[in-house]
Amino acid sequence: MSLTRRGFLQFGLGATLAGVASGLGFSLEKAVAKAAAFKLQWTKQTTSICCYCAVGCGLIVSTATEKHPAGAGKVINVEGDPEHPINEGSLCAKGASMWQLTANAQRPPKPLYRAPHATEWKEVEWDWALKRIARLVKDTRDKTFQAKNAAGEVVNRTEGMASFGSAAFDNEECWAYQAVMRSLGLVFIEHQARL
Amino acid sequence: MTNHWNDLANSDCILMMGSNPAQNHPISFKWVLRAKDRGATLISVDPRFTASSSKADMYAPLRCGSDIAFLGGMINYILQNNKYFKEYILENTNATMVVGEAYGFSNGLFSGFNAETRRYDKKTWAYDMDDKGVPVRDMTLQHPRCVFQLMQKHYSRYTVDKVIAITGTPKEDLLKVYETYSATGARNKAGTIMYAMGWTQHSVGVQNIRTMAMIQLLLGNIGIAGGGVNALRGEANVQGSTDQAVLADIWPGYLSVPNSKQTNAAEYIAASTPKSNDPKSVNWKKNHPKYIASFLKSMYPSASVDEAYGFMPRLDAGRKTTDYFWMSIFDRMIAGELEGLFAWGMNPACSGPNANKSRAAFEKLKWLVNVNLFDNETGSFWRGPGKDPKKIATEVFFLPCCTSIEKEGSVSNSGRWMQWRYAGPKPQGHTLPDGDIFCEMAQEIRNLYAKEGGAFPDPVLKLGMEYWLEGHEFSPRKTARLLNGFFLKDTEVNGKLYKAGQLVPGFANLKDDGSTMSGNWLHCGSYTEEGGNLMMRRDKKQTEEQARIGLYPNWAFAWPMNRRIIYNRASVDVQGKPWNPEKSVIRWDGKAWQGDVVDGGGEPGSKYPFIMQVHGQGHLFGPGREDGPFPEHYEPMESPFATHELSQQRSSPVAFMAKNEQLAVADEQYPFIGTTYRVTEHWQTGLMTRRCAWLVEAEPQVFAEIDTEMAAMRGIANGDVVRVSSKRGTLLAKAVVSERVQALTVNGKTIHMVGLPWHFGWVVPKRGGDSANLLTAAVGDPNTAIPESKAFMVNIEKVDMKDLPE
Amino acid sequence: MAKAFFVDLSRCTGCRGCQVACKQWKNLPAEATKNTGSHTNPPDLSSKTYKTVHMLEHGKGKDLQLLYFPEQCRHCYLSPCMTASDVPGAIIEDTETGAVLFTELTAKIKDKQGVRKACPYDIPRIDEATGIIHKCDFCNDRVRQGMLPACVLSCPTGAMNFGEEAAMLALAESRLAELKKRHPDAVLGDAGTVRVLYLYHEKPELFHKYAVFAEALAPTSRRALFAKLAPRVKSSLG
Repeated sequence: MSLTRRGFLQFGLGATLAGVASGLGFSLEKAVAKAAAFKLQWTKQTTSICCYCAVGCGLIVSTATEKHPAGAGKVINVEGDPEHPINEGSLCAKGASMWQLTANAQRPPKPLYRAPHATEWKEVEWDWALKRIARLVKDTRDKTFQAKNAAGEVVNRTEGMASFGSAAFDNEECWAYQAVMRSLGLVFIEHQARL
Repeated sequence: MTNHWNDLANSDCILMMGSNPAQNHPISFKWVLRAKDRGATLISVDPRFTASSSKADMYAPLRCGSDIAFLGGMINYILQNNKYFKEYILENTNATMVVGEAYGFSNGLFSGFNAETRRYDKKTWAYDMDDKGVPVRDMTLQHPRCVFQLMQKHYSRYTVDKVIAITGTPKEDLLKVYETYSATGARNKAGTIMYAMGWTQHSVGVQNIRTMAMIQLLLGNIGIAGGGVNALRGEANVQGSTDQAVLADIWPGYLSVPNSKQTNAAEYIAASTPKSNDPKSVNWKKNHPKYIASFLKSMYPSASVDEAYGFMPRLDAGRKTTDYFWMSIFDRMIAGELEGLFAWGMNPACSGPNANKSRAAFEKLKWLVNVNLFDNETGSFWRGPGKDPKKIATEVFFLPCCTSIEKEGSVSNSGRWMQWRYAGPKPQGHTLPDGDIFCEMAQEIRNLYAKEGGAFPDPVLKLGMEYWLEGHEFSPRKTARLLNGFFLKDTEVNGKLYKAGQLVPGFANLKDDGSTMSGNWLHCGSYTEEGGNLMMRRDKKQTEEQARIGLYPNWAFAWPMNRRIIYNRASVDVQGKPWNPEKSVIRWDGKAWQGDVVDGGGEPGSKYPFIMQVHGQGHLFGPGREDGPFPEHYEPMESPFATHELSQQRSSPVAFMAKNEQLAVADEQYPFIGTTYRVTEHWQTGLMTRRCAWLVEAEPQVFAEIDTEMAAMRGIANGDVVRVSSKRGTLLAKAVVSERVQALTVNGKTIHMVGLPWHFGWVVPKRGGDSANLLTAAVGDPNTAIPESKAFMVNIEKVDMKDLPE
Repeated sequence: MAKAFFVDLSRCTGCRGCQVACKQWKNLPAEATKNTGSHTNPPDLSSKTYKTVHMLEHGKGKDLQLLYFPEQCRHCYLSPCMTASDVPGAIIEDTETGAVLFTELTAKIKDKQGVRKACPYDIPRIDEATGIIHKCDFCNDRVRQGMLPACVLSCPTGAMNFGEEAAMLALAESRLAELKKRHPDAVLGDAGTVRVLYLYHEKPELFHKYAVFAEALAPTSRRALFAKLAPRVKSSLG
């Protein structure tokens, strides 16, 4: 559900400027009118939860719709959700900068690959990268798989690979990720909770 | 957290120790200050005077790593001065249980210690059992071997003078904290603890927390509004990732990982299911057979429970579980025993102890897959300081994932609220949700196994991915339903017929015969036929009674079964009357329970409240831990002292140590205590926040916070560049000379401290510095192997540089 | 009805949510900063920074206090900056909200330093590239849409408050009375002359050189200017 509830109904309504006080001439009207070219015009709102600490603060994310000059799907603004019972709209410095984390030119748009002994990254296609990783994982698993341990007991595992991460996953991803790793026989499955 | 964030406002006394919530969990302070507005006392106990200390009513300093001495002294104070809540401990704790004759404690060691294996035989810590197999209890608390008496004896050694000789706390500050906090032992008062990594990152981390849990039990503070034991977890979903068992020793819902002696499902289930012969003990874990069978079916829906068990990897029986944990994995990696590593949403080049070792270990890998938002010190380890890429053969992949607002799914906050996040913007560039990345990868691997065969392909090929995929894509909504669970056959439960394919309404409906599937029993009830996805709920409706304590039962969902305050059964007497009716959590109205979802069910007085313990009682005596049933002070593995006041056992006899770790003990070359912490503007290794210009602007560089006396002694001025060194590495930092840190006089010796944020790394920003984990030691807690990053030994010296190098 | 801010400094924890929320809403660029031994960063206001939180230590040992000062424009009732402008429409007041606004026309003001000097709180900053003078704009765009200013929304502790003038003044007075019990030096800064009313729980000069408009603190020129120009502002507003 893309939420439109009391508390942020006012978002994206478009500027309906109340009568500007007269007496100070045209420049005030113009200036105030300019301010009313409101940042959240032509955006839609969704709710989320802050990605940083585990307080679980509610967010309102404003995303450009088709009419918006930034182009549909671009993030325009992220701020605290005033309806959220924990944060009641407030956010710390990190939470308040969430927009910058997403609309960030330093995010690599595509997979990067560094061949053995190479001195630089090279941009590659997803399909190639995932196929190559699948090959490496399978080779390692096949080579290091232990049906039995040194005592001759069944263990069905590999100690040839490890996984670190991640508390950055959503719950559903966490579950599916551990399922994939355990299906491959990994026992070295660790993440942030260990630190 | 046993309780939740809003509940902090209900407290009469908030102890902030091992945490700095104003800076590291800033929004929690909304509720801390609301408690203060209502008259609560705030106490800050911290080696450093922090932003939290600045808002507290009282502040007491202590030396890093002396928390058990501080809290053990508080236990002694509570017992000596009769501050404990007697009715509560008689009903709700194991104070009355009689421990067997084999138990003993002498000179810092508990009975059962094996010096060769550095492990305890915990059998010597068992209770005496009666002829029905129920623990013997002495309700008078007089039996010399009852827990209460043993505890009194153990902590009588923690006299105020001995405590301050260890902690360095001024005596009047110590006593003021003891007096104020122990006043919450009154039945209508609530005291709470807010702790974080300041307690966990020690070689006695688990016992730090146990000491406080004991205090909370003694004072009757668990289960009540404004009380509890509250871990302030540091990542948006680290509660959830732990619940889903992205860890070596557990399966989802805290089920143990099987070992090599458990050759079939029945043996494993029997070993995982504790038994109680006491009819009043709920012994919730008796349900493990249902949870295990339902989990195995969720992994392998087409297989029988037995077959599915056979697909799951097992650990070696008899080995310490810590052998499978983070630091042990690095021991194997640096020895060349691993070929591959996934570093997924993590930056292990900076996040773990002894970062130089971690960075060297990566060179031994054949391949490394790093998935993240930004390039980082892990993915780019081969081009890091001191590395020659031409000599490094590791094949490295960086896969760009999307941000949390670009995808949907649920996260569990520290208060166990499972809240749904919706997808807003489109993923930038060609980035993908993590779920899509690993599901695509898994499908490619399956394709190879289907085509080529290989080592035991069945676990790979039979994994029930169809339950989480929508076409090729990962579906969070389908997976959320799987986590809740389904009936696999038409089943009648309590006279009601459930059809195959229907969602289970709760974990009481799970079956041990393979007729139900549930990815994680703790998630049962979160996605129902009637209510849909309850994690999406945004209803603030409450009864008047619920509103008084801000329970918000209709906002999102909290595990287990939407219980907002766990162990809430301990908040009432045996008649079901709240200890404090003004802030009742639950209440028996003669016919039913009102308020929160009650722990354990049944009528008042029919069940013991600590339903997750086999005997139903809170653990003043904790016989399950690796390092003893009572918390005991030991020096940190690195310490300025070679001895201490309480025993001749200097450090924890069973502490975890990585291979070949060099340690500084009373070493003049490393005379100062180093400790790591966080600032508000950065997060963890800084991987994300170092890419956010507004945050870098506010905290641009790594710094070393020192006291004015030490600064004068070493000729260091505010803003100078300094070199901080330990046995493991060096770090250049900007000096922050501050009154916030003070030298402490400890046992006649002046002890200085160097405080370091650990958010920096060499990739970005320019002149930002590197990770404080270059200095920390790969040693840690014997139960969890969490590293001791809060107390290690360093030296510091001024460097003739204008600024940190690029 | 005109609005006001009330800033209760006794509740500020220095989380800098306000500082970043301001940059976020206005999409202001970050500055290149260094750690100079202080956590205050950016160290000062600028044409890119309308709000910065000063992180201060005061006293030693048992008397140590950490003070935080989120600095921003006070939106004076009678704005000296306005009277220092020779360009109509460059510095204006939205009489509906009470916001004092600097427009792009400030680039045409001859004596730009004069605008800065006229401010008793030393707030305006000139963008050297464009000549435009910048400062906090009250989040007037948000306020006119019925939303809280970005900094106020982000504040977790109740340090930053915003609302109807009368309500803010009442809140300020009740908080002052409460704080006076434990903080005898507590004072409302320049009450009755500013729309951004700070409650200092310690002596204002501990927070900032120009925290309040006091003769002892402000340069004589500022005070003189304020005294001289204030009546003209009043008359221009009618």
